[in-house]
Amino acid sequence: MDQRILEFIGDLRRAEIRISPSEALDALAASAEVGLRDRETFKTALATTLIKEFRDLPTFDRLFDLYFLDLQALGEGLKKALGPEDPRIRDLLDRLMAEEGIEIDPLTELLLWGQGTEMELAIRRGGEHVGLERLMYFLQIGYFSRRIHDRFDWEAIERDLARLMQLLEARGLDPGRLARIRNYLDLRLEAFRRLIRQHVERELERRAFRQGEKLTREVLTDKPLFALTAEEVAQMKAVVARLARKIKDALALRQRQEEKGRLDSRRTVRKSLQYGGIPMELRFRRRHRDKPKLITICDVSDSVRNASRFMLQLVWSLQECFSRVRSYVFVSEIAEVTQAFNTYPVDKAIEWALRAAPVDYHCRSDFGYAFSRFCRTELESLDRKTTILVLGDARNNYNDPQAWAVTHMRERVKGIIWLNPEGQWGWGIGDSVMPLYAPHCDVVRECRTIGQLAQVVDNLVHHWWRRGR
Amino acid sequence: MFQSVEEVQQRFRQARYIASRRLSTVVYLAERMARPVLIEGPAGVGKTEMAKVLAEATRRRLIRLQCYEGLDEGKALYEWKYAKQLLYTQLLKERIGELIEDTHSLPEAVAKIAGQDDAFFSFRFLSPRPLLQAIQADDEVVLLVDEIDKAEPEFEAFLLEVLSDFQVSVPELGTITAKHIPLVVLTSNNARELSDGLKRRCLHLFIDFPPPKDELEIIRLKVPEIPERLAQAVVTAVHRIRALELRKPPSVSESLDWARSLVILNAQQLDPTLVEATLTMLVKYEKDLERVKGALDKVLADLN
Repeated sequence: MDQRILEFIGDLRRAEIRISPSEALDALAASAEVGLRDRETFKTALATTLIKEFRDLPTFDRLFDLYFLDLQALGEGLKKALGPEDPRIRDLLDRLMAEEGIEIDPLTELLLWGQGTEMELAIRRGGEHVGLERLMYFLQIGYFSRRIHDRFDWEAIERDLARLMQLLEARGLDPGRLARIRNYLDLRLEAFRRLIRQHVERELERRAFRQGEKLTREVLTDKPLFALTAEEVAQMKAVVARLARKIKDALALRQRQEEKGRLDSRRTVRKSLQYGGIPMELRFRRRHRDKPKLITICDVSDSVRNASRFMLQLVWSLQECFSRVRSYVFVSEIAEVTQAFNTYPVDKAIEWALRAAPVDYHCRSDFGYAFSRFCRTELESLDRKTTILVLGDARNNYNDPQAWAVTHMRERVKGIIWLNPEGQWGWGIGDSVMPLYAPHCDVVRECRTIGQLAQVVDNLVHHWWRRGR
Repeated sequence: MFQSVEEVQQRFRQARYIASRRLSTVVYLAERMARPVLIEGPAGVGKTEMAKVLAEATRRRLIRLQCYEGLDEGKALYEWKYAKQLLYTQLLKERIGELIEDTHSLPEAVAKIAGQDDAFFSFRFLSPRPLLQAIQADDEVVLLVDEIDKAEPEFEAFLLEVLSDFQVSVPELGTITAKHIPLVVLTSNNARELSDGLKRRCLHLFIDFPPPKDELEIIRLKVPEIPERLAQAVVTAVHRIRALELRKPPSVSESLDWARSLVILNAQQLDPTLVEATLTMLVKYEKDLERVKGALDKVLADLN
């Protein structure tokens, strides 16, 4: 059994669940404790020792069902497929064999009397040396079914069946009844063949579980944002959610890591009274590190729509984690959307920001105007703790770039980070004014793919906020 | 020691706690394998309660360590009673004077006093905190480390060390090893990710809101005077409210509170005015409240 459990753990690892050797040992010990008597208990014993993240549970459940087959359910299914004729014909054949005293091939015996369990076990034995470990793709199912199929001696079975039919005929059964019996035998043969195929299908799902998903994700991560279809955008949502979580964890951790500051003489003296004026316990001022403030400014014009979608999702998640995030969107008029993002669930908030925010969506994007408006109304609220995160392609449609506005903003804040969903080769060509804004920004990054977005986030988490800024 | 998973279930039941098969299996394994159990799940599904019931069912003493931000080793493990030490030295000044009376040099006096170290650094002056209490205990105990996610990661690392060999070293006294391995239960509300090390070390149990059938049983068990029909209506309504995607969906403890208050108000069925008046028992945020009120028709549809 241990061997089976270890193999199962291998499957889980292939499905990207991290399991350490010590956890594997625990699983073996736990399964030894509860035994195999009860399927659910056995399953819980494995789950509690192996699965430590709630989100991995569905994967575990599915793989468990594939690997530790519910043989009883399998047998039920087989019985149903064979229909109600089953017991009567079986009795008849039983009697015949006993009276005539004939020997048949063990395989035929399995076919005639075997339950789902026994058949499945026979198939499993048959599949042992056909190289199932090479099974990776859907197209291979036919091939491997055939190979397992060929390992059984079908001729011997046919011979046995023909002999049985002859004997029955010799006993003078009427043709209708004979046909029914033959039909029943064929049904059993067919069921057995189907079991073989199902076995291979299960093996494939088990081996390749979530491999396809992984592949898609890898491809999508490097696909330019503007080229993603709506469906792909939906698939990538989970990735962005993970990024947001990463930022949250990193920042939350940092806030708690307040080191001890200078001696707090007032509190130390007060505490020393308890010890007759001897400063037994020293008290320190806690050094409060300022919580970072974040302002996001996001271009929501049509040209960068997909990129904005991801950014807005990131912004929404950030806002959920921090009280001090303010979010703005613009095309040419700029508007604050913090309130709406706090109220709406994520999907609704994004759709709202892309369609219904109080900005005019029908004009061309004008960064200069947006920044100048921002300066006029919000400059007062900026301070040295604030980081401004801008998302936009800086394609200004030949409007006045008003770079002075960015200069003003920069003077007031900790820094400006600009993420550009356009490739670096395009910056400064045509109506792009990126080179005019770039000198006033602390970080300018190309952010064309989710992969790049992930890098940027990592960077921010590890360098930008870490350097005490 | 539990003999079987069924026995766990039964003993928990006697202690008035409806334990699912999964929970019972994990508890059984925890005791058998002497492993800590890490329980995660939304607030108010009975995580802490489970530890208390476990103590009751196994007739062990419960020692509770409530975690919070800023909890450090001192508060969790042990502290010296400085004040008491100081007081004793003051009171015993004369005895100390006598002790060093016949010495002729400072080093000699220091050596004499050093010989009495033990008098001052002994268990008498040590105030054991929950972790040390659990390790020192003569009887068998259940150690509940509540809301471990509230403590800092450093504390978690320290806890991991204690939990892996169940011994603590006090520099002045030496190493103290547990007489009995305590049954450890850790709970977390998932305020932050716990470290992999801790998760690896523990058996993991996720408790979610119970299915309607179990919740009904819980309500019957804890609020026995509730009319059967009302209990069923309460469970259905609570489950519908949970499906509304609230900021904080009502927990089991809240549905129990609600059931109790309905019994006090002598309600026989859920009529809308009564529900609206008592809704604050279930839903704690203004926005959630509005949302539930807006969907009240749907929540109470064909319940009476």
